[in-house]
Amino acid sequence: MATNGAIAQSDGIERTATEAKQAVKIRDLNFFFGQGDLRKQVLFDINLDLPPGQIIIMTGPSGSGKTTLLTLIGALRTVQDGSLQVLGQEIVGLGKAQLVNVRRNIGFIFQAHNLFGSLTASKNVEMAIELTHDWREKRQRASQMLSNLGLEDRVDYKPKALSGGQKQRVAIARALVNQPPLILADEPTAALDKKSGRDVVTLMQKLAKEEGRTILMVTHDNRILDVADRIITMVDGRLETDENLDQFVNTHDPKALDRHMFIM
Amino acid sequence: MRSPRTPLAWLNLTYERRRLLTALAGVCFAVLLMFMFRGFENALYDSQVQLLKLLNGDAVMVNRLKSNMFVPEQFARNRLYQAQAFEGVEAAYAFYTTTGNWKNPETKRVRPLRILAFNPSDPVLPLPGILANRETLRLPWTALVDVKSRPEVGPTRAGVVTELAEQQVELVGTYSLGTDFASANGNIVMSDQNFLRYFANLGPEEDSRTLNTVDIGLLVFDPEADPDDIVAQLQSQIPNDVQIFTKAAFVERELDYWRNNTNIGFVFSLLTSMSFVVGIILVYQILYTNVADHQAEYATLKAMGYSNQYLLKVVLQQALILGVLGFLPGYFISLVLYRMTADATGLLMQMTLGRGVNILLATVLMCLISGAIAVREVQATDPADVFG
Repeated sequence: MATNGAIAQSDGIERTATEAKQAVKIRDLNFFFGQGDLRKQVLFDINLDLPPGQIIIMTGPSGSGKTTLLTLIGALRTVQDGSLQVLGQEIVGLGKAQLVNVRRNIGFIFQAHNLFGSLTASKNVEMAIELTHDWREKRQRASQMLSNLGLEDRVDYKPKALSGGQKQRVAIARALVNQPPLILADEPTAALDKKSGRDVVTLMQKLAKEEGRTILMVTHDNRILDVADRIITMVDGRLETDENLDQFVNTHDPKALDRHMFIM
Repeated sequence: MRSPRTPLAWLNLTYERRRLLTALAGVCFAVLLMFMFRGFENALYDSQVQLLKLLNGDAVMVNRLKSNMFVPEQFARNRLYQAQAFEGVEAAYAFYTTTGNWKNPETKRVRPLRILAFNPSDPVLPLPGILANRETLRLPWTALVDVKSRPEVGPTRAGVVTELAEQQVELVGTYSLGTDFASANGNIVMSDQNFLRYFANLGPEEDSRTLNTVDIGLLVFDPEADPDDIVAQLQSQIPNDVQIFTKAAFVERELDYWRNNTNIGFVFSLLTSMSFVVGIILVYQILYTNVADHQAEYATLKAMGYSNQYLLKVVLQQALILGVLGFLPGYFISLVLYRMTADATGLLMQMTLGRGVNILLATVLMCLISGAIAVREVQATDPADVFG
């Protein structure tokens, strides 16, 4: 079982590299909530490519559809309209059971750590490894991952005995331990103080650069914008801007910001 | 080193000790209720036939009108002698019963008791206490008392002197049987001769008893012969003012009477079902709270790629753990309560393997139903909800 899992996973990565090139490829994506008279469009004609090895930060006012887009890329919702390829796999039209398989190649980091209070740090991470049926080395791999995140002396602690930053790092270890090519993070630093938040994003930056992972992060936290290769802004369900950091800083200059406000 | 799958169901359940204990107390209580109600029901049935089961005989002869042990109809003793003449019938014993007023020697209050009388030379009711006192029973104005009689009877030991049917009686020994509906407060055993002394010369308005009319006739067959054949033969040839049954059939007929002519079965089945439903609700509450408290974590598992089936299994495992862990204390407390009930009422509270297994299965089923309802909550958790 363990070897089968490993082969399946490396297959997926190879296919991503040769066929698709892009970790995420979105064409003319529309998305609606509700049905009948209550049907409301929340995403309009999204076109977006996320290449491997990039950190992309997505910002925008609340209600602009950022989180919805994140859940769509994360194969957490069924999509019917347009085209959405994640890691080379078209997920528009897939059923719920097939989406589960897509999700196994994606690492999720949430605003809350969502760790099981009854499980130690190591066991929480092992829950992710068990999905690959690697029973032999799960404990060792979990400890190794936690050590990489500076938690080597907290491996057998339960979440109750860990600080907020430590808990978030365990959650990150859980998201990264299966080496997913795509990582989706929703406000990963919102619950952390300045230093812990900085540590977490630095770590993610290192992963993206060294191991070629694609990281898509939704955040309002201006302190961490500097790690981004690209910054995407969403407004009212549309992609408003897609810039690099310097452009973003310019357009969000206080003077420029004033002008924007008058236009709107 | 190959390590096993993380036992998430067990760890989640045992993480909060106090909540687990409350949960187990709930399951245990439901188990206890089911055991007690089933126990009472069985006790009422078992008690009705315990005397019949102990009587020594392969077949039983009773008056055609005696449809159950409550009916005070006798038949002519001649019928017993007639039956004894048939081939295959080795012995026929007469067994007399009536109800007599017993004065509690301490409180002086009079209570009705059931009198069981037979010839002490015949092995009619072969209980240790009775066999040991066969000779002393022949003495006039003597009797044996059941130590499992209700407390209203007063002290149950040899040497007590009091009044039975307004005449003096001396207790010369004890035996152990137990009460049932027909025995009122307890059973007194005496010889057929003493039976005459007390009940042959009652007042003008009361039915006097003689040894010529028998309440229950007991037939002992040749062990080689087929009892069903002999019973059929006897029934066809002996006048049909009496009916003859094999002992098993007679016991079954008595049970049928209690099952079909009383509300015992209905009442206790209803109570047992209600305990079952209460158990379902209790366990559902426990499981639901557990799922609701870990909503975000379960949703995260789904986002990571765990299937609905996995979560379903976790919840059902929790249900099973609760069921089995709650059953054990419930079982042992029930044993103690059975004992206490038996001591207090004299009813026959029996815990058999079959009955224990029945309730265990009911408990497991109860928890699985609760689990199946609670699982819907997990399935409804949408991993997309964890974002934002």
